[in-house]
Amino acid sequence: MNPDYNKQLEAAISRELKALPELTAPAVLANRVMATLEQRARVPWYRRSWQTWPVAMQAASLVVLLALFGGLCLGGWQLSQTGTATLALHRVGEWFSGLSMIGNTFNVLVSAAVLVVKKLGTGVIATCLVAAGIGYAMCVGLGTVYFRLAFAKR
Amino acid sequence: MRNYQNMVFSTAMRLLTNQSEAEDVTQEVFLRAYERFGELQGSPTVGGWLKTVATNLSLNHLSRYRSRWTFFSEIFTGDPDADGEPEMEFADESNAGEELEARDRHAVVEQALQKLPTAQRVPLVLYHLEGLRYEEIAGKLGVSLGKVKTDISRGREALRKKLRLTLELENNLTGNA
Repeated sequence: MNPDYNKQLEAAISRELKALPELTAPAVLANRVMATLEQRARVPWYRRSWQTWPVAMQAASLVVLLALFGGLCLGGWQLSQTGTATLALHRVGEWFSGLSMIGNTFNVLVSAAVLVVKKLGTGVIATCLVAAGIGYAMCVGLGTVYFRLAFAKR
Repeated sequence: MRNYQNMVFSTAMRLLTNQSEAEDVTQEVFLRAYERFGELQGSPTVGGWLKTVATNLSLNHLSRYRSRWTFFSEIFTGDPDADGEPEMEFADESNAGEELEARDRHAVVEQALQKLPTAQRVPLVLYHLEGLRYEEIAGKLGVSLGKVKTDISRGREALRKKLRLTLELENNLTGNA
């Protein structure tokens, strides 16, 4: 395309767009903002985000959290030094024994799927995959058509 | 707030083309400004800050809430001018005065801009109204530089057709032929 034409077009469009005045914001907008601010101001400080807490409260909460973390670490370490920890771990292991059964079932299902694939052969599987792809494409196409029909500019 | 609300609303409206979404974005911009009231109060850059936040929030809004609909709405969109709407009779610089007696020039340009597909309108607004460079637009929209240039070029051409802008060069070429 002619570079002079492009430059002229850019300048012309720029002129038209920059000449546009600002759009007028709805009159209720300022009231909406003020109402939201007032609503936020009514919320007690402890229910607001942590960044907006008073500095003293931020410092206090930080100290409490650090103390809690330290206590947990110390408690965990002391627990590991006693025999009760081994007993507790054994009990936790029992709770999760059900998971191994789920794992075994999954393994059996995978083995069955591999067996089916071997029996059917690649031709049948490829055909199934192609059919699934066509079905998916049809869904997207029909969805697009319906969307265009539903939201068509009238 | 009243000094800047039209500017912020215009920025959001031209990017989103949806009144209620633009109002939500404008509200969010001023709520964020209030959180930084201490920094912004009396600052000479407050206008620029508000505009940047409005632009970023509008683009976030577009990418977050509209991506799935954009896919459907633009997938089969060919020529944006082929929407069955009559072209707007205006903007031939020589007889613009006559046309303007019947129609508000700015309203027509605004309407033409809003009817552009999002993929063309957004980079066009960012370039011409927000003063961003091609590279900045590509970065903000997460698309290639080439796509930005192509979309802006197509957007300009679509606007030219919609507004029937007559360029001097075209006149010269026509005259020479």
